[in-house]
Amino acid sequence: MGLDFGPDTGTDGNIITTTIDKVVNWGRKNSLWPMPFGTACCAIEMMATLASKYDLSRFGSEAIRFSPRQSDLLIVSGRISIKMMPVLKRIYDQMPDPKWVISMGACASCGGVFDTYTLIQGVDQFIPVDVYIPGCPPRPEDLIDAVLQVQQKIDSGALPKGVSPY
Amino acid sequence: MNEEKAVEEQSKPLVLEKLEAAHADALLAQDEVRGTAVVVVRKERAYAVLEYLKTDPELAYTYLVDVTAVDNSRMESELMQFDYARFMVVYQLYSYQGQCRVRVKVPVHENDLSIPSATGLWRAANWLERETYDMFGIHFEGHPDLRRILMPDDFEGYPLRKDYPLRGRGERERFNFDKQNV
Repeated sequence: MGLDFGPDTGTDGNIITTTIDKVVNWGRKNSLWPMPFGTACCAIEMMATLASKYDLSRFGSEAIRFSPRQSDLLIVSGRISIKMMPVLKRIYDQMPDPKWVISMGACASCGGVFDTYTLIQGVDQFIPVDVYIPGCPPRPEDLIDAVLQVQQKIDSGALPKGVSPY
Repeated sequence: MNEEKAVEEQSKPLVLEKLEAAHADALLAQDEVRGTAVVVVRKERAYAVLEYLKTDPELAYTYLVDVTAVDNSRMESELMQFDYARFMVVYQLYSYQGQCRVRVKVPVHENDLSIPSATGLWRAANWLERETYDMFGIHFEGHPDLRRILMPDDFEGYPLRKDYPLRGRGERERFNFDKQNV
C-alpha cells in the first residue's frame, strides 16, 4: 500500500511515516471514478462488471460518473466511428488530470472485425490509452483485471499515458 | 401467364387487384413473395401510387415501415428487367386495417437520381429518405431537410453503393479534429 510503519518510538504504533506522493497515490488508486463510454456489446459486459455479481466497487470504483468532469478513468467499450471520435476526444479533454484510459475490447483497441470505411481502427490513434483489454467482448473478470492494472500503475507512481513527463 | 394460373389469381392480394384497376399504367411488374405483395412502379407515377395506397379506404397503408434502396449495378439479371436502372428505391408499407404488407419498388436511373419525396404522405419518411440519400445518393425532391444523417456532414461519396471500397477512400486516415470543430 505504500505505507510503512515507522520505528517503534514508544507511541504504540500510532505513528505512520510515509511520503505525500505515496499517500496521494494510495488514495487515487482506491477511489477511481470511471467514466463509461459504452457504445456496443462491451458496454453490456461493463454493466455486468459494475453490477452486484462482479461488483467493481470491491476495488473502490463504484462511483460511476456520467460527467467527465467528475471522473478520472475513461472506459472506452465499443466501436467508435469517425463521426463519434470527436465526441470521445472532447469527453477525454474534459476530464481533469490525472486521468487514465482503458480501451476495452477488440473494437476500441484496433477496430475489431469492423475494418470498414467508417470505423476508427483503434482509439489510441487519437487519445492515449493506458490499458488495453483483448476480447470480443471481454469477460467482466478481464475488466476487473484492467482496473487492477491501472491501480498498480498508479501505485507505482507512473504517470498516466496522457501526461508528458515535463 | 395470367390465364394459365387462374387458380392463383383468386388468392391474389387485394392491393394488387386494386392497383391493376386504378394504376395499371404505372405498374412495371408485380409479384407476391411469401405473402407480401411486391409492385414495381414507374418513377413518374410513384408518388400517385403511394398516395393511393395510403388514402384508399380499403387499403389504408398508413404505416411507412422503411425506405431504402438497392444498387443493382453488379446484378445484370436485375438490371436487364427495368431498362438498366441502376438503383431500386424500396418502400415497405404496412396496413393496420388489413394487417398486410406491400413492397413498392421504383427503378431510378443513375443519370437522374431524383425521385419525389414521400414526406408529404408519411412524416416517418423524413429520416428514412435522409438515410437513403446518405448511403446511395438518391435525391428526394421536395424533402424539407435533405442532409446526411449517419455519416459526418463533410463526408464525400455514398458508401452503400457497390463501387464504394469497403475500407473507404482514406477518410479514416484523413480524419482530423480541426475540421470536425471539436
